[in-house]
Amino acid sequence: MKKAFTTKFIVVLLLVVFLGSVVFTGCAKKTTTEQTGTGNAYLDQLIKAAQKEGELTVIALPHDWANYGEIISTFSTKYGIKVNELDPNAGSGDEIEAIKANKGSTGPQAPDVIDVGLAWGPTAKEQGLIQPYKVQTWDTIPNDVKDPDGYWYGDYYGVLAFEVNSSVIKNIPQDWSDLLKPEYKGKVALGGDPRTSAMAAMAVAAAAIANGGSFDNVMPGLEFFAKLNKAGNFVPVIAKPGTIASGETPIAMMWDYLALTDRDNFNGNPEISVVIPKSSVVAGVYVQAISAYAPHPNAAKLWMEFLYSDEGQLLYLKGYVHPIRYNDLAKRNVIPEDLAKKLPPAELYAKAIFPTIDQITKAKKDIADNWDKVVNVNVK
Amino acid sequence: MEVKQANLKDGATPRPTFSIFRDLLFLLPFVIFVVAFLILPTISIFISAFQDPSGKFTLQNIKDLFTPYIMNAYLLSIKVSLFTAVFGALIGFMLAYASTFGNLPSWVKSYLNTFSGVASNFAGVPLAFAFISTLGRVGLLTALIQQIFHVSIYDLGFNLYSFWGLCLTYLYFQIPLMVLLMTPALEGMKKEWREGAENLGATPSQYWLKIGLPILFPTIIANTVLLFGNAFGAYATAYALTGGFLNLVPIIIGAEIRGDILHNVGLGYALALGMIVIMGITILSYNYLQSKTARWLK
Amino acid sequence: MKKSRFWAWFWIFLGALYFLLPLFSTFLFSLKMKKGVLSFAAYQSVLKDPQFFKTFTFSLEMSVLTIIVGLAIIVPTAFWVRLRLKGLRPIVEFITQMPFVVPPIVLVFGLIRLYSKPPVQLTRTPLLLVMGYVVLSLPYIYRSVDNGLMAMDVERLTEAAESLGAGWTTILFKVILPNLKSALISGTFLTFAIVIGELTMASMLAWPAFGPYMALLGQNRAYEPAALAIMSFALTWAAMGVIQWVGRTSFVKQEQVGGIH
Repeated sequence: MKKAFTTKFIVVLLLVVFLGSVVFTGCAKKTTTEQTGTGNAYLDQLIKAAQKEGELTVIALPHDWANYGEIISTFSTKYGIKVNELDPNAGSGDEIEAIKANKGSTGPQAPDVIDVGLAWGPTAKEQGLIQPYKVQTWDTIPNDVKDPDGYWYGDYYGVLAFEVNSSVIKNIPQDWSDLLKPEYKGKVALGGDPRTSAMAAMAVAAAAIANGGSFDNVMPGLEFFAKLNKAGNFVPVIAKPGTIASGETPIAMMWDYLALTDRDNFNGNPEISVVIPKSSVVAGVYVQAISAYAPHPNAAKLWMEFLYSDEGQLLYLKGYVHPIRYNDLAKRNVIPEDLAKKLPPAELYAKAIFPTIDQITKAKKDIADNWDKVVNVNVK
Repeated sequence: MEVKQANLKDGATPRPTFSIFRDLLFLLPFVIFVVAFLILPTISIFISAFQDPSGKFTLQNIKDLFTPYIMNAYLLSIKVSLFTAVFGALIGFMLAYASTFGNLPSWVKSYLNTFSGVASNFAGVPLAFAFISTLGRVGLLTALIQQIFHVSIYDLGFNLYSFWGLCLTYLYFQIPLMVLLMTPALEGMKKEWREGAENLGATPSQYWLKIGLPILFPTIIANTVLLFGNAFGAYATAYALTGGFLNLVPIIIGAEIRGDILHNVGLGYALALGMIVIMGITILSYNYLQSKTARWLK
Repeated sequence: MKKSRFWAWFWIFLGALYFLLPLFSTFLFSLKMKKGVLSFAAYQSVLKDPQFFKTFTFSLEMSVLTIIVGLAIIVPTAFWVRLRLKGLRPIVEFITQMPFVVPPIVLVFGLIRLYSKPPVQLTRTPLLLVMGYVVLSLPYIYRSVDNGLMAMDVERLTEAAESLGAGWTTILFKVILPNLKSALISGTFLTFAIVIGELTMASMLAWPAFGPYMALLGQNRAYEPAALAIMSFALTWAAMGVIQWVGRTSFVKQEQVGGIH
């Protein structure tokens, strides 16, 4: 009899443990997948859950891009979470492929969060690679740069600018048409290949707008680059801070924030002028999203909360990008004056054209398909 | 494994027998390694070359390879690789030869070899930048020549951001690779042969034509093929130097797989598959040629 | 003799010019961080970071592992293919050159796909990274070992050793390896150089290696990348010097007497 009792006891015990663990994991699950609470109580809970995970894996965040160096270190020390950084050179395509390759895997090589060009948001959502999350400040993110279901959300934007090494170029070009002048022979370069880099493609689109075209009709932009190339002004080398400083590519088309960061980093050697061409102020938006397979979902959510808090948004601004909640910050007067002073005049940004996702997708395709044929950069 | 073989030898058979098992034992580590870490991973990704975006089987990506745009890219890639392989091999051979048989102080050879080790893998953005700051429009050498001869090499038709500029840059890692691969082979040339030949009245050039080169020939060709592959797959240097405006296959692959815009992953993998096929053909045909010439040389 | 020495110097001089000039330009540029003066400011800015030596040491360790594993896999194979399985040579050669044309990004995603989750999870150990590095260095190691074997008439050496009653381990370690010395050093150099600067593999597998560190630090700077390039060049060169010194002095020198010439 005693034996039977023992058996029974063990069975019951096992049952209790089993049920208990189910309930427990159920609870744990609840905090990870559902986002019910708001306010400080919810945040505290999230912080604890994130700290339990202890790690966050980010990808494609160069430290001198949008102030990510400081953002990452601030986040890491503030919450005591280790941040693994995957390839800072990766492009948006790499980020998507990295999620795919890491389906179902854990470990530091699986990205939790991505920062990709605007057009990638819907694509990634369609392929089921990202999961929805709405940050506390969700309502202050403009509607046209976020997914209504919360799968992806714009984080910052910049406008296309000319980064000019003004130690070399005395007569600074002010607009697209100036670039064709003979004095700029062999001096103008792009920051990427328009068939692969969103920034370079945007430069072509901006040139199109300046020359009577639009996002729906990029031909004038391509023709402009054909002319630039024919005049010998265009240098077919990827402009990098090094080539700009050395004077090899003294005029480069870059996002304004990269140019402004360079200006600070160079510290006067050489002098950098950042010109936003008046005839077309084109904005490029990047978006954040959490991987559907994120091994550290809570840390990922905390990362988002941090990025979209006033603190995070101001850190972005320090890197000269316009955080997506810029208007909200401005309205509430939380932007420190010295920070505001360092930015180019606000009027210019008021004129910025924000293309829709469809426009971007079409423009990129048109540019990629026709770049070779129309511009014909014959490197022989 | 080694122990087993040693035992086998100590056992009944006085001479090791050659059996299929021994073949396997020697090859097994290699086969397992290659299957697990090269072939399987490659296949697991290259499957996408035969899939459309929704994951269904398709041959469209392979068909897309046979467009003039992509065929030209293959042609250009082959041209760059062939040119830099042949010239890299030639110059590399000269350097290795000079340092081995040129009666130079021994430090020359050890510096050349260690330097070659580093330079053989100096590529990508740093290499492109090194050449830009030397031979770019405002490069060191360009400026120097301008000062001395009052003429810009760019006005004379030189352009670093061109086919020839790229070849010149590729040679920076091709030549050292050849030096490193060639030096041991040259060291292996037995002094006795040369002395013997000279005792028989052969001039050095006769010695090289009749004995040296025929012996070294297979090695030289094998190394040239390796140099070809080395340039064929190179991506970062070309991208940094010519901004993707020179349509090499690795650059297009990069655009399709990694890029922000084109991003047709399937086509990218199909392109890489094409490169593997070309490499395969190259290696098979050179092996065939080699076996022919080997007979002829004997 | 005199004539040959002149030409030897001529070629070496030409080579030195071609190879040192780009390095010198980079070096000159790296000194220009402060306006109007030449200074080592860019180098100071790099060396301030403790990560510099930490990541370099990590990559150093990985390269040693890669060299050991790589040689252990390749030497017996190359030897055996030369000796008994000549028919397989084209295939083995093709396989060893595949890493040239499989883009590293494809390879690393393939490795992640296969080995980052149960049943085989290798991503938390450096094993996967080392294996990836061995793949990348496969063409170079194989070619140098094979060149070495070509130069020494494997068949006759092996036969002679066999007839003297040597077993296979003895043949490999006492006869073949000592004669491969300089080929092995070449292979080691090439492998070492690859591993020290490699970016894609290390950064996608999230290891604190030197390549990712350089990319992170130098990405959007002007003078620091140039300084980094020069420093890594110098450090790698120094390390190669050490390898050569170790290789030429201690390693197998004594045993070469046992080799049959």
